[in-house]
Amino acid sequence: MGSVVEINPLTRVEGHGSLKVYLDGIRVERVELCLTESPRLFETLLLDKSYAEVPEIICRICSLCSTVHKVTALLAVEKALGIRVSPATELTRELITNGGLIQDHALHLYCLLLPDLLNLPGVTGLAQTAPELLKAGLAIKRVGNLIQETVGGRLIHPVNIRLGGLGQGIGHDPLLHMQNELQEILPACREACRLFLKPFDFPKLPAPNYLALDPAGPAYSQDFLQMTAGGSFAVADYRQHITESVLLYSHAKYARVLGQEATVGALSRLNLGAGLSAEASVIFETVKEEIIGKDIRGNNLAQAIELLQATERSLEVIGELLQIGRDGAGNVQIVPGSGRGSAACEAPRGVLIHSYSFDANGMCYEADVITPTSLNQGALARDLLVLARYMEGSEQSLLVSALERLIRCYDPCISCSVHLLQL
Amino acid sequence: MKRPKLAIAGLTACSGCQLTLLNCEQKLPEIARRFELIYFPMGESGCDPQAVFDAAIVEGAVSTPEDLATLFKLRNSSRLLIALGTCAIFGGVAAMNNRISQRAELMFGVYGEAGGSFQSFPPSPFRNFVSVDFTITGCPPEKPELLELLAALLTGTLPPVHCYPVCTECRSRENLCLLLERNELCLGPIIKGGCNARCPATGIVCEGCRGPVREANVAQEMELLSERGFAREEIERRMSRFTPEWNYGQRR
Repeated sequence: MGSVVEINPLTRVEGHGSLKVYLDGIRVERVELCLTESPRLFETLLLDKSYAEVPEIICRICSLCSTVHKVTALLAVEKALGIRVSPATELTRELITNGGLIQDHALHLYCLLLPDLLNLPGVTGLAQTAPELLKAGLAIKRVGNLIQETVGGRLIHPVNIRLGGLGQGIGHDPLLHMQNELQEILPACREACRLFLKPFDFPKLPAPNYLALDPAGPAYSQDFLQMTAGGSFAVADYRQHITESVLLYSHAKYARVLGQEATVGALSRLNLGAGLSAEASVIFETVKEEIIGKDIRGNNLAQAIELLQATERSLEVIGELLQIGRDGAGNVQIVPGSGRGSAACEAPRGVLIHSYSFDANGMCYEADVITPTSLNQGALARDLLVLARYMEGSEQSLLVSALERLIRCYDPCISCSVHLLQL
Repeated sequence: MKRPKLAIAGLTACSGCQLTLLNCEQKLPEIARRFELIYFPMGESGCDPQAVFDAAIVEGAVSTPEDLATLFKLRNSSRLLIALGTCAIFGGVAAMNNRISQRAELMFGVYGEAGGSFQSFPPSPFRNFVSVDFTITGCPPEKPELLELLAALLTGTLPPVHCYPVCTECRSRENLCLLLERNELCLGPIIKGGCNARCPATGIVCEGCRGPVREANVAQEMELLSERGFAREEIERRMSRFTPEWNYGQRR
C-alpha cells in the first residue's frame, strides 16, 4: 500500500520548498524535492534592458546573496564591454563579497542550523535556551552586514558598487571601524570551528564530486572551474560542460556538470584546496579529517572555517585599502557596446555563474544565471534518497527531522535557484 | 504584557524583507521575547496551521494559486495584515514587464515547453485581492520602519504614515542633485522617501525602489526628463522596474 510523507513547507531554509517521500509499505520508493518558490523569470525580464540596468535588477533575485549576485553581474557585464577595473575596485569587491559570506554563513550556522544541534525548533527557542550562543552568532553576522552596508551603501541589494568602480570611495574612518569590528569577532569565529565540528549522526552518504573555482588563482572570481572528477574548464565555455533540465514537479532546474552531479559550496572549496589565511589554515590542519573526502555533513564545519578565513582576509584587504587611500579608487569610464561576457564567483553556497550578451546599443539580448543551489540539486536529491532508504521503518518524525537536517547541510537558497536560463 | 502573536511569511519574493528583520541582530533577542513568532517558516520549524494572529507581516507579490491561498489564509487568520516591501505593495521587480509582455511568453522563455505546466499569473500587489491594514515600502525596507511597526504593535496600534518624496531627505543631506545638476535619470521627485536618500548620497540615481509617493507630480517628472533628452521608452522602462502601474499624466 503506497503512502506519501510530505514536509511542506521546508523550514529554516531560504525560500519555499517541500519534500515528498513516496513509500510502499515501509519501503522508500523515491524522494521528490520540490523547490516551489514562485518563479520570477529574471532571465526574460532582463531582455531588452540596458547593460547598466542588468546588475541592479538581477541582484533582486535573492536577498541573502544579493551582494555576490551584484558583483558577479558587474564582472560579467564588464567582461562583455571589455572594461578592466582598478586594483582598488577589485579589493572593494573582494571585501564586500567576504562580508556577504560572513553574514550568510553566520545566519545559516547560528540561526538555521544550530537549533538542530540543540534539538530546538528555531531561533525563538535559541533565544531562550542558548542566548549566549545566539548572541555570538548574531555578532558575527552583524559584522558581515556592517561590511556590506559600508561598502555597498545598503545592506541588501547594494548600490554603491557599480560598473567601473564605486559610487563613493570608502573613507579612512569607516575602514578603521570595520577593522575594529572584525578584530572583535575573531574569537567567536575560532569558537565556531569547535561548535560545528561534529557532523550529524547519519550513515555515510555518497562521496561528493566537488566543484569550485580553480583555487590556483587568488580572490573571489576566476576564469576556470575545477571538479574532482573531470578536471578543469573555462568559465567562458560553461555552456558546453553544464547542462540543465526542467523537472516537472520543481521550479528550479536541475544541473549536471560534465554529465555528473556536482557538489558546490564551502566543503568543495576546502577540498579543492582554496587558499586559507594564517589562523584558518592552522585550524583546518587540525580538523581536516572531518573535511577532506567527506560527504556533505562536513559542510557545516567547512562553513565555520570559512567564517574565520573571511574575517582574516577582510582584515588584510582593509589593510591594503588603507594604504591605497580613498582617492586611489579610480573609476573607469563605461562605453556601451556589443559583446558577451560570462563570470563566475564563489557565492557563500558555491559556484555562481552569470552570462550576458549585449547588442551594439548595449541592450541585453541573452541572459543566463546558474546558481549554486541548482548545481547542488542533483546531489541533494541523491543524498535524500540514500538517507530515506537507510531510515526505512523509522518513526515518521525521526525521518522528517533527519531529511530536513540533510537539506540544511546543503544550505540551499531556493529564491536563487528558481528562474534560470533561456532554453 | 501580552505577547502579540505574529505570522511572518513571504510570497513571490527574494526573502529580503524577512531578512531585514533577521538583520536587526541587536534587537532580535528582544523581539523573540516580546512577540510570539507563531508562523515564521524562514526561522522556525513546526508551524501550527490552525493558529490565529494579531498581525501577519507578509512580503512578496502574488503570482501563483499557492501565493493566493497563503494570502487569503493569513488575511483570514490575522487581525492585521501588513504588506511588507515593494513587491507586496506595488508588484515589485517580478512585475516590471506586466504591461509589456504576456506571462505565458515569459514562462516559455525560461522553462520552454514545460513552462505550460506551471501555474502562474502576472505578479500583483496584495490590494488586488484583500484589504491591507498597513504598508512598509522599500526594496529592501528600512530597518527603522520595521522596528517602528513592531514597537507600535506592542502597544496595540500602528505607526504614523510618513509621506514625502526622496528629494526631501536628499536636499536636507545637501547631496548634489543628480537630476538638475548632472542631468541623470533620477526618480527622486516621484518616489516615496524614508530611505534617507541612500542612493543619491553615494552619487547614484534613485531607481525608484520604494514606489510612488502619494500625489506624485508624474507628468512634471516626465517633462523634466524629456527636456534632458531621455526617450519616453527609457523613462517608462526605468519607472516600471518596481511599479508597473503608473499614471504618467498625473499632475497634483
